[in-house]
Amino acid sequence: MLEVLAQVVVNGLLIGGIYALVSIGVTLIFGVVKIVNFAQGEFVMIGMYISFFLATYFGIDPLVSLAVSMPVLFIVGMLLQHFLIRRVLGLGDMPQIFLTFALSLLLMNLALMAFTANYRTVHTWYSDEAFHLGEIYVPIAKLVAFVLAMALSGILWVFLQTTDMGKAMRAAAQKPEVAMLMGINPNRVFAVATGVSLALAGAAGSLLMPFYPASPMAGQVFVLMAFVAVVLGTLGNVKGALIASLMMGVAESLGIQFVGADSGLIVVFLMLLLTLAFRPSGLAGGGAR
Amino acid sequence: MRVLRSSGALWLGLLTVVLLVLPLVVTSRFAIDIFIRVLLFAFIGVAWNLIGGYAKQLSLGHAAYFGLGAYTSTILQIDVGISPWIGMLAGGVVAMLASLPIGALCFRLRGPYFAISTIATAQVFMLLFLKFRDFAWGAEGTTIPNLGNAPLMMQFEAKAAYYYIALGLLAIGLAITYRIERSWMGYYLVAIGEDEDAAEAIGVNAMRIKRDIYMISAFLTALAGTFYVQYIYFIDPQTAFNFNISVEAALVSIVGGVGTLWGPVIGTVLLEATSALLQSWLGSSFGGIQLTVYSLILMAVILWRPTGLLSVLAEVYARIVRRGSAQTKKAVLDG
Repeated sequence: MLEVLAQVVVNGLLIGGIYALVSIGVTLIFGVVKIVNFAQGEFVMIGMYISFFLATYFGIDPLVSLAVSMPVLFIVGMLLQHFLIRRVLGLGDMPQIFLTFALSLLLMNLALMAFTANYRTVHTWYSDEAFHLGEIYVPIAKLVAFVLAMALSGILWVFLQTTDMGKAMRAAAQKPEVAMLMGINPNRVFAVATGVSLALAGAAGSLLMPFYPASPMAGQVFVLMAFVAVVLGTLGNVKGALIASLMMGVAESLGIQFVGADSGLIVVFLMLLLTLAFRPSGLAGGGAR
Repeated sequence: MRVLRSSGALWLGLLTVVLLVLPLVVTSRFAIDIFIRVLLFAFIGVAWNLIGGYAKQLSLGHAAYFGLGAYTSTILQIDVGISPWIGMLAGGVVAMLASLPIGALCFRLRGPYFAISTIATAQVFMLLFLKFRDFAWGAEGTTIPNLGNAPLMMQFEAKAAYYYIALGLLAIGLAITYRIERSWMGYYLVAIGEDEDAAEAIGVNAMRIKRDIYMISAFLTALAGTFYVQYIYFIDPQTAFNFNISVEAALVSIVGGVGTLWGPVIGTVLLEATSALLQSWLGSSFGGIQLTVYSLILMAVILWRPTGLLSVLAEVYARIVRRGSAQTKKAVLDG
């Protein structure tokens, strides 16, 4: 029993690392630009396809194509901020929600037309490898993805804490008007924040590729998980999103193990609704706005 | 809107006559099917618009109520033998009751997070109905027994009958919206939509108003659910709680114009016409093209006309009227 539980927790933590990359991206855009990016999952999907095509046509390992998907999506993020999001800032909830929501629909359906609904997989030499840690089974691909996801989260943390741009982002998140008075160019900060956020989504896509099939709808699960994690971890809080994502992974894994294979999402959504009922401001406290 | 209202009665009468004789003139089943879709989605849009448009609570989970309505009437019909006409109202009541706890949870959040939490509620319902197979047929769903021509069981051989039911539903939805728009509740709703904190500060009980309008919206959406499964003779969780229903409810209202009486209707006509055209040009083989075009229209409206296309029509109409009256005046002066 204890082994089963330990196994479930390990499975949950491993996938939770990927959820964390997506959630941190969502919470970063929300914190700095004050926009909820409904299309974040589609950028995970794009990251997956980038790695899929590089692996299929050039034989590049998905972990190596991280070096392509991240910069590509960083640039896409800057362009997205500059040409679309910037135009709805300060216009109220309706345009802000439905702009990125429309973008999500658009990317999903363009992918459907371009790549069909078929599941695409990449088989690497480590895709089926695993080792045993006592009684616990640890798949290598997932472990590598988890470790790299945590490393990227750590790098982001250092970036936000130590670099000028990172400090500017945190300043813009906390007090946008004051930040502007201090000479911070909000458009540049917003563009970099969106770029970084999308780069993280792209990284999540590439890291998933060795063990998770790409499809036009693949991003949906991740963005839903991210939204729940971001509410749980208090909106705009990077550390909260990370911890909440790992918890969500474990909760989903517990649901699959003890309620049924298709019940992971029910557990996650119920967690969201229970959080709203008892801690609407998120586990870390703070405003629910 | 004001423009339409000045000569409103005339236009409304004309529109009613056209809509009533339409299925007598156009008898192609394909065309009537499209008309029914337009009327149904316009009705769902009108229901969504009450909470999403006037009160600006941007729900993306109306499929929950659509599905509850559909399942309630179907379960009553198949297991108990109760007519869907009664089941429809029962479904509405179930949806209303379900909206109370859902609203109590989701209204704690504002803006985007309200939208996300409503997505979660609709998904929970779909997953529950997928899971409990002995309660409601699980993932396979069930076909609704075809009784031939049985008006008392909401089954008709003539497609036109469904057209008139859908038209009736839309008329009810519009009438309710019209009444609410002109009542104290309508003003409270708009106040909440503009600035909830300010509305509360001047003594509007925002929580209560939102709860009440959400109940009405849920009730109407459930009626659409019953009608839809009766029309297609089939129900399963994917059909009844389909996320696209939540999306389309919001989409038609936004494209047409949120918080306006006719916005959802205009939006549905435009989107469904586009979709029908695409289908006749490309066939149904080109999956994804319909939602691609929808999302492009939605983005274009948000970026260039956040008030919706109804305001464009109203402007064009106003310009024509102004030019017309200027010409009359000129003619009078010249003469």
